[in-house]
Amino acid sequence: MSKVVEVTDQTFEEEVLKSDVPTEVDFWAPWCGPCKMVSPIYDRLSAEYENFKFCKVNVDSNTEMARKYNVVSIPMQMFFANGEKVDELLGAVPEQVIISKVQEVIQRFPTDERGRLKVILSSWIEHNKQDDENFTRWENKAQELKEDAVYDSLLKAAREMRKANERLSQLLGEL
Amino acid sequence: MQKVVIAGSGPAGLTAGIYSARAGLAPIIFEGPAPGGQLTVSAEVENYPGFPEALSGMELMERIHKQAEKFGARFNSAMVEQVVKDGDVFKVKAGDKTTEAQALIIATGAQARRLPIPSEKKFYGKGVSGCATCDGFFYKDKKVIVVGGGNAAMEDAVFLTKFASKVTIVHRRDYLRADAVEVEKAKKNSKIEWLIPWVVKEILGNDLVTGVKLKNAESGKTFELECEGVFVAIGHEPKTDVFKDVVQTDEKGFIIVQPGSTRTSTDGVFACGDVCDHKYKQAVVAAGQGCMAAMDVDRYLGIKE
Repeated sequence: MSKVVEVTDQTFEEEVLKSDVPTEVDFWAPWCGPCKMVSPIYDRLSAEYENFKFCKVNVDSNTEMARKYNVVSIPMQMFFANGEKVDELLGAVPEQVIISKVQEVIQRFPTDERGRLKVILSSWIEHNKQDDENFTRWENKAQELKEDAVYDSLLKAAREMRKANERLSQLLGEL
Repeated sequence: MQKVVIAGSGPAGLTAGIYSARAGLAPIIFEGPAPGGQLTVSAEVENYPGFPEALSGMELMERIHKQAEKFGARFNSAMVEQVVKDGDVFKVKAGDKTTEAQALIIATGAQARRLPIPSEKKFYGKGVSGCATCDGFFYKDKKVIVVGGGNAAMEDAVFLTKFASKVTIVHRRDYLRADAVEVEKAKKNSKIEWLIPWVVKEILGNDLVTGVKLKNAESGKTFELECEGVFVAIGHEPKTDVFKDVVQTDEKGFIIVQPGSTRTSTDGVFACGDVCDHKYKQAVVAAGQGCMAAMDVDRYLGIKE
């Protein structure tokens, strides 16, 4: 059964912006043919996803939110998390495209503590990985100065850090 | 192994589905990215026989869909991405799987042509629209332009005068392709202005469209026109990219079929609807050709056995 929430200009803030979970808003109108192609997909998906909310706004009677978010083409699907718009999908796109977008948003904005931790950790690991190239460059230089005890200790510490990062990635994969 | 696979779900594909299902061929219909096809954006269909009270394109397509389903056609929302001919068998790749079939009906229709300028893509959905009936509502008391000179452009322009304060038709040639009746309706409308022969060179704006840069097709003179909506109605092109290795197409991309038949240059492949029709482009014609394709497939499979 569909769990799509009908939202109005008045309830938009409460239902969408203050939602605890990421939310999709389907801007539609009764006179829009392509809108009728996507709405059954949202009806179906809304029954399947737990930590995600599906809403729809009839722009014919709720012009304020459409104007606020620059909606001038429908069907327009917008994604919200933590009170902000984070993504959008324009037009009557195939079901598979909608599913992958919903999953992407869920991954980016998890609702459980464990999920949030995972996001923080993976962005940290990602950041460390970017430094890898710099490390290799630095490592080569430090190798040359190995005789100096300070550089030798630094080199060892840096290698341990890199190893720890690899272990972190591995553990994150198991989470 | 399937007997027949149908690519496309407009009037042609679905009618082919009805007839081939009734013939016991258990067709699989790959609906593709726009289930129901082009007609789903038509607000009113007044010329489809059997519906004197007119109905929306969406409703008509839902009815035909139901009819095909009733007789056992199977639906898959994926789009056909590749077809490989292996002897007498067609390997049809759609979504994440490949289906083998003895015959293939191509009914992928046509899609709206887009303006060949980068700023059109940038502002698509932000002021540039391909669907006046969907988006006209957002332009109450605003200025819009309609690009094109065919029936769709004339109809869109007249429709948009319900909302917009001014509608300017911009067309690149000095003659109109549209029927006299449609041109007359537009000419009589006091809210409609004409810029002929002018070409849209660039679409201007920040978050949303604020205007267009136009160039005169004869003198080369340019000027900027203020507008908030750009409705593009410059015709359709056949969706035949993925079939070009399997069947012959003409210089415009339409699949070539034998006169009075739906047979293509390849045995076992049939085409119907706008994908091979550059002349009529009507739902009822597409439906008729869909029927022909199903009957041609039935005959083809019968002879093979």
